[in-house]
Amino acid sequence: MASSADISDEQLVIAVRERDKELYSEIIQRYQTKLSHYLRKFIRDHDELEDVLQEVFIKAYRNLYGFDVHRKFSSWIYRIAHNEALNHIKKYKKESISLDEQEWEVIDESMDIHAKVEEDELKKDIAKALAFLKDTYRQPLILYFFEQRTYEEISDILHIPRNTVGTLILRGKKMLKKILEHKGI
Amino acid sequence: MNNHHTIEEKVMKEIKKGSVKLRSRYLFLVEKCGMGSALTLSVLLAILFCSLVLLYLTSSDNLGYLTFGNSGVSAFLESFPFLLMAMLVLLMFIAGILIKKSDISYKRPFGYYALGLVGIVVVAGVLVSATSIDERIEDEAYGTHVPGILFRPFLMQGVDDRQRGVVGRVIEVGDGYIRIQTPQTVKEVDVRTLQTRMSEPLIEGLFVMAIGEGNADAFTAKDIRTIGSMDMPMIRRGVHRHFGFFMGFPIKPEDEVCLRDCIQEQTDRQKCRELCLNSILK
Repeated sequence: MASSADISDEQLVIAVRERDKELYSEIIQRYQTKLSHYLRKFIRDHDELEDVLQEVFIKAYRNLYGFDVHRKFSSWIYRIAHNEALNHIKKYKKESISLDEQEWEVIDESMDIHAKVEEDELKKDIAKALAFLKDTYRQPLILYFFEQRTYEEISDILHIPRNTVGTLILRGKKMLKKILEHKGI
Repeated sequence: MNNHHTIEEKVMKEIKKGSVKLRSRYLFLVEKCGMGSALTLSVLLAILFCSLVLLYLTSSDNLGYLTFGNSGVSAFLESFPFLLMAMLVLLMFIAGILIKKSDISYKRPFGYYALGLVGIVVVAGVLVSATSIDERIEDEAYGTHVPGILFRPFLMQGVDDRQRGVVGRVIEVGDGYIRIQTPQTVKEVDVRTLQTRMSEPLIEGLFVMAIGEGNADAFTAKDIRTIGSMDMPMIRRGVHRHFGFFMGFPIKPEDEVCLRDCIQEQTDRQKCRELCLNSILK
């Protein structure tokens, strides 16, 4: 018999729903790092992030029967995380962008910025530039470049048409580049 | 890593304790079915209301006022089925919201769904209006039973009294006036101040429409004309409902054609009456 680590997310969901609730810990293990990474784009405070992440897993568990097992679980749980993050921002009227070391490199490569983004000052500039972008552009950019989600998954997470995802990413990239160039980076 | 363990432990503790439970699958099923039913119902009602709008426009006096040109516009607006239209728009709006809330609607731009919805409602509405369903609803609306009676406020406007226009069956032709039966009452229409000459003389039994100004019992016409024997069936049905047939007898479309042709050729009304309505008047 296959161990829980070998089965797909969707099969795991079926198992949790019908057989063993404790298998849900496997889902948490699979997604806590990814979701924490994603939520950090919205929530800077560590304790707040932890609370939101916990709420995401609780909400996902409660609504497990609402998940259609013929679709992708990752998109579904990312959507819950996305909504929770937006609710949190709305509730506390706080919005921030915080990127880690690897993500600066992603920005550097994907945006075709020739200067190395190493100095703290520049990092702050890029964070500000991302913060300047409208949510409409920023969210697909973050999901595509930092979370490595496909267009299809982004479409499922943000509930926007697939073609629109492509357009928003392209436009967002151009805008971000413009903002950075304007700042002389 | 420690934090991650903490989250996992906290969540699993809540689950094991039973304070966090799976929502029943039936709740989701009911939610899904509810959404589906609400969407189906709103689309079906939108189709029905679309066919009623078409029925109203094609069988009431509303569009007829536009044949008077600019001076008929105010009567047209007065008789326009705003309530029916508002209901149709509201139902389409509800259907649109339900589509937008559905699980798969985001896959395509909402404009596609909106266009599809309008297309379906209009095409199906035209098909329904080609059957006699809408006429049966109109009939039921003036009855005493639910659900027909619920449609009365929407269709009533079609046979309501108007201040800028009037349509009805001529029952008396006098010197400078005519008396007509509208779907609501008997009105005296003053025809002395007509701004245009009448193209054909009037005779009892014919249906006429006029624009001008008036109140509940009297109307001063600026322009008046007879209407075709098959035109404005909603008004005709209204008059028949209220007053019964002409002198107690139905005037068939061919009788009206006969009356109109006869009056075009000779002006002796009595002769025309005898010739065309002989079987009725006997």
